[in-house]
Amino acid sequence: MASSQPFAIRGTNFNMVVLQLRDGAPDVVLPALERLIQQSPAFLRDSPVVLGLDDLKAEGRQPDFAGLAEGLRGLRLVPVGTTGGSGILRQAAAAAGLAQLSKGQQLFRPKGNAAAAAETPPPAAPAAPVAPVVAAPPPVAVPEPEPQPTALPAAESEPSAEPGQTALVITQPLRAGARVYAKGRDVICIATVNPGAEIIADGHVHVYGTLRGRAIAGAAGFEGARIFALNFDPELVSIAGLYRVRDDLDPAMIGQRLLVSLQGDEMRLTPLG
Amino acid sequence: MSEVVVVTSGKGGVGKTTTSAALATGLAMRGHKTVVVDFDVGLRNLDLIMGCERRVVFDIINVIQGEANLKQALIRDKRVENLWILPASQTRDKDALTREGVEAILNELRETFDYIVCDSPAGIERGAHLALYFADRAIVVTNPEVSSVRDSDRILGVLASRSKRAEDGLDPVKEHLLLTRYDAARVERGEMLKVEDVQDILAIPLLGIVPESSSVLQASNQGVPVILEDASTAGRAYADAVGRFLGEDIPHRFLSPEKKGLFSRLFRGAA
Repeated sequence: MASSQPFAIRGTNFNMVVLQLRDGAPDVVLPALERLIQQSPAFLRDSPVVLGLDDLKAEGRQPDFAGLAEGLRGLRLVPVGTTGGSGILRQAAAAAGLAQLSKGQQLFRPKGNAAAAAETPPPAAPAAPVAPVVAAPPPVAVPEPEPQPTALPAAESEPSAEPGQTALVITQPLRAGARVYAKGRDVICIATVNPGAEIIADGHVHVYGTLRGRAIAGAAGFEGARIFALNFDPELVSIAGLYRVRDDLDPAMIGQRLLVSLQGDEMRLTPLG
Repeated sequence: MSEVVVVTSGKGGVGKTTTSAALATGLAMRGHKTVVVDFDVGLRNLDLIMGCERRVVFDIINVIQGEANLKQALIRDKRVENLWILPASQTRDKDALTREGVEAILNELRETFDYIVCDSPAGIERGAHLALYFADRAIVVTNPEVSSVRDSDRILGVLASRSKRAEDGLDPVKEHLLLTRYDAARVERGEMLKVEDVQDILAIPLLGIVPESSSVLQASNQGVPVILEDASTAGRAYADAVGRFLGEDIPHRFLSPEKKGLFSRLFRGAA
């Protein structure tokens, strides 16, 4: 059916480079930036750039945002907005036509160690509200904000894994009270998940040890998510908000190599291999 | 009229969870609609002792944070009618408990239940304080040893000064002493404090004396509240305590060592 609306509005996430300013003067910042760009010209070409204002001193000169924006465009960058900083700074930036973006978490450090950057690929974030900069969880994200056993109603369950996205790999046993959340990707645990521990992923959950704790796959609503366990003995399994507790499971399935998946509103347990 | 009962102690390992499970089960068996709430967030074990750990989906923190409603989190006991369990979370810490959240949950529970038994964590930090703050009655669980009595004394001080009843100027929280792991033989040998010694210091009414018993450990490992073990001295002691809690006049038992029969006397050396 053809729609009369010539556009559709969608909320989505983008990763953007933040230029964390330590000085607000274009004649200080721009030459330094130019030198960096000359070292690897393709690196930032035509990228959208967000100005980070947190490190700007309050007593310093008022930054010349208009001058900075113009200079950045001259360097083939696209200044889109600012993040952080005081209200006065943000107002001055808004007057120069820069959007105010809510605070994101840092996930990309050009000069940081390569391993840390590799650990944090861009998350898919199926149905998250608009946020300028998205953070991937730390390698073992125990105090991660609210991975919910009850899944959020996903607007559209896009496939959670984008090409190039890697799974979160857990090598240590997950003990009682521990919680791991792989936001926007799969989690692979090559050790045991003990009773009282939770292993959660927006994608699939793989446990190549004994699964004794709780396993939650498709935490953001992805119904195609699956749970794989080499030794299946869980307290609870959940996919996209549908769950079974231990007492609801067929005792014959306990201790098996098992695949848990959803077929419609029904949870299927199938032997693996 | 519903009552919030907190089971507390200064020291860990004295039998609070065993007592909470036994008391709640005992009250429910006598026809009172009862819920037992685990406040020991981060170290939940009430569900283990109640034998319902495999049916936990949502917990008290999910309810406080609005991820589940109370009805979803309450687990109905399979053995005893009128008994429900509200489990704690193991993956959050005690800071997830908020005073407003606890108050809202207790108010909602008051609408349905006659007794709300709160299994408090040990000590006097946040989780324990929140558990006792809204209490109408408190059962202070103490072992017959000096450090346990000292810590219970400290808790009684907190109850008297920092409970909501104290802050609102209402009647004070009604206090009961429950002496657990009592070994009359060792008391006779002077290795343990006597009931009188404990009462001397704490000076609150004695709800019961629970003798040291191997059945407590056995029952807890099997997920059965010990009060359901009719053959166990500890189970019978808890049944008496529940009766006294409800105002019945029941004489105290298990104060003296069990009389040994002729055979056990004869064969003592061999046993």
